[in-house]
Amino acid sequence: MWLERLQNIDRRVIYTVLLIVLLGPMIKPIGIPLTINKTTYQMYNLIESLNPQSDIVMLAMDYSVAGAADVHPQAVAVAKHLANRGIKMVMVAFVPDGPMLAERVLNILGDRVTYGEDIVNLGYLSGGESAVKKFIDEPATTFPRDHRGNAISSLPIMSNIKTIHDFSLIVDFQTGSPGYQDFLRQLPAGGPLYAAGIVTVSVPNVMPYLDSGQFAALLPGLRGGAEYEVLIGEPGEGAARMDAQSLGHMVIVTFIIVGNVAYFFSKRQEKSGRR
Amino acid sequence: MKRGVPLLIVFVVGFVMLTTYFIKNPTLGQARTLLNNWGVIVTAFSVGLASVNILRIHSARIANRRSGWINSVALILTMFIFIVVGIYSRHNPDNKAAAQLFSNLFDYAYSPFSATMYAMIAFYVASASYRAFRMRSFEATLLLTAALLVMLGNAPIAEQIWDKFPVIGNWLLNVVNTTGQRGIAIGVAIGGFATSLRILLGFDRGHLGYGE
Amino acid sequence: MTSYFVFGTFLVLGAIIIGVLMATHSGKIAPKIRRIPALDSIEEAVGRATEMGRPVHYSPGYGEITTSTAPQTFASFDVLRYVVTLTARYNTQLIVTCKSPQSFPIIQELVRETYLAAGKPDMFHEDTVRFISEAQFAWAAGVLGIFNREKVAANIMLGYFMAESLLFAEGGAQVGAIQVAGTGNLAQTAFFVAACDYTLIGEELYAGGAYLSNDPGKVGNLAGQDVVKFLTIAFIVLGTVLATFESNWLLELTAK
Repeated sequence: MWLERLQNIDRRVIYTVLLIVLLGPMIKPIGIPLTINKTTYQMYNLIESLNPQSDIVMLAMDYSVAGAADVHPQAVAVAKHLANRGIKMVMVAFVPDGPMLAERVLNILGDRVTYGEDIVNLGYLSGGESAVKKFIDEPATTFPRDHRGNAISSLPIMSNIKTIHDFSLIVDFQTGSPGYQDFLRQLPAGGPLYAAGIVTVSVPNVMPYLDSGQFAALLPGLRGGAEYEVLIGEPGEGAARMDAQSLGHMVIVTFIIVGNVAYFFSKRQEKSGRR
Repeated sequence: MKRGVPLLIVFVVGFVMLTTYFIKNPTLGQARTLLNNWGVIVTAFSVGLASVNILRIHSARIANRRSGWINSVALILTMFIFIVVGIYSRHNPDNKAAAQLFSNLFDYAYSPFSATMYAMIAFYVASASYRAFRMRSFEATLLLTAALLVMLGNAPIAEQIWDKFPVIGNWLLNVVNTTGQRGIAIGVAIGGFATSLRILLGFDRGHLGYGE
Repeated sequence: MTSYFVFGTFLVLGAIIIGVLMATHSGKIAPKIRRIPALDSIEEAVGRATEMGRPVHYSPGYGEITTSTAPQTFASFDVLRYVVTLTARYNTQLIVTCKSPQSFPIIQELVRETYLAAGKPDMFHEDTVRFISEAQFAWAAGVLGIFNREKVAANIMLGYFMAESLLFAEGGAQVGAIQVAGTGNLAQTAFFVAACDYTLIGEELYAGGAYLSNDPGKVGNLAGQDVVKFLTIAFIVLGTVLATFESNWLLELTAK
């Protein structure tokens, strides 16, 4: 009877337990120690290797507001690192939510950057891969105005951008399409390095690209963001949420183990009953 | 004729897009830009067409007082509020109140609703994996073990229990997973290439309808 | 020119695929397709919905018809045509939900014409094909609402899917629907495998049209893909051998 019940726990019970476990550390973070993965170091070192005098980074804000919980902490942490190092950033979006999320990043950066000189939010360009291609072909003229309505010619940072080769690095924060495949197909050979901040679920998908060197670096999901925050010495919302994610994993693992132990013993009972 | 013209359009557009990917030519490049712009315009019209479908289905629901008709009222109202505020704030950038209203709609309505749906995945992962991961066979046991190890490898708390969890999890992800992913990804890419070729060359005409 | 190698590969592989397609079309070769249980199960799913007197839901996914996801969307159209024919044969209600406004009118026409060809034009209604929303999670919420309100008995999801895959698959499982799914997006395949009764993995999605219609052109296209796959494997083996002997010749060739 119990074995049967444990194999068929009502989904509402699972949801309730998971909800409670997720809410706890969000209200009061535990501070579970976080070790830094090799991939996160790779991204950090890549940005450390840039020259503030000559390098400009394009931040592609290609994540949706829905997936922001997973990717936004990465974008914030990388932007903070770039701002701390005095490296110029051009934010572009190929998904509609992008410009609003870029504004959220700008709000967090606050006084670290001067808008128009150190950073710009160009806005959203529709058309998916065609739009990516268009911007790669004509980064200086694709947007006549930025997201805030300023003429591009009035923004000092944009006077440095003539072709895509004027960017040293593209960091593409993404939750789906357009994303890494569109960029890898459209970027010219010898063009800027391409690094990605990716939603957790896509990590298994993109590992071959990192392995082959097509990605210069990769930040994997919320954990990547949290690790980056620790690396730059500014723990933020990513690190706080990792406790919840960590415990959430343990709840799922526990339910799977409980179901399997019950399954195992019920099979044994069946066998001994047959004997 | 009914199919000939669309097939020709498909072929010409496909030809321009493909050749400009491989060859840099100013004339073809301009043709590509033009076609891209037309594509954006056609997409915009298709959004209009699809919105008409929403309006017709939900207006009929309201008119016939079918169950849940109040939801249809909410849908149509919200749709119009977003359209009106969005267009107005876009064309009146000096009107700060309209811009703020649009920003608030995004931050306090669209964002939380979308994030809620996304967050539901976590709960569905829990119930689906609890139901699916059972040691019913040798293969199922392998799948279950790999899933548990990758999950534990990604949870910092598991690392505190045994520091080899991330090592094993990362090995599964980087070696075993990457190998399989490559194989399937190559197959999907070849399949996509062959299907696109069939469509561009007019061997597949099903999407153009039955009529000759 | 991006790369002579890429352009050359495109021409050679394209010629091989078209060559095999033409040879099959003209009857010179007759490739056979192995059994694909997920595609066989579609009739079982529609049959079950018929017995229960409840609708069949079909989703062509997140994909568009103008982006790199287009081949998967077109592959889905082939299966959709088959599903419409089955629902027409069994007089079972069909609901198709769309996210892409681009593919919506095509799907509408495809379903309408297939019902017409099956001699059941009355089975097509205004709400047979429904555009839900272009926003991913608004679409997902709309589809989950339909599952719960209309108690679908069969849920068929074929095409390019993203984060909504598990929402649909688990939502379908919760209303007790028999589920057949397939996508070329590998990240989502795991969710379908966990929550659905039958799953098409990777390029099996492209086999749908050929398998269900036995159309020589489509079967030939599939056989052409296999020839290209063999060549790719040979290329990988060659590259591995050369790399083992520290030769960069092939790597340099691909960059030319």
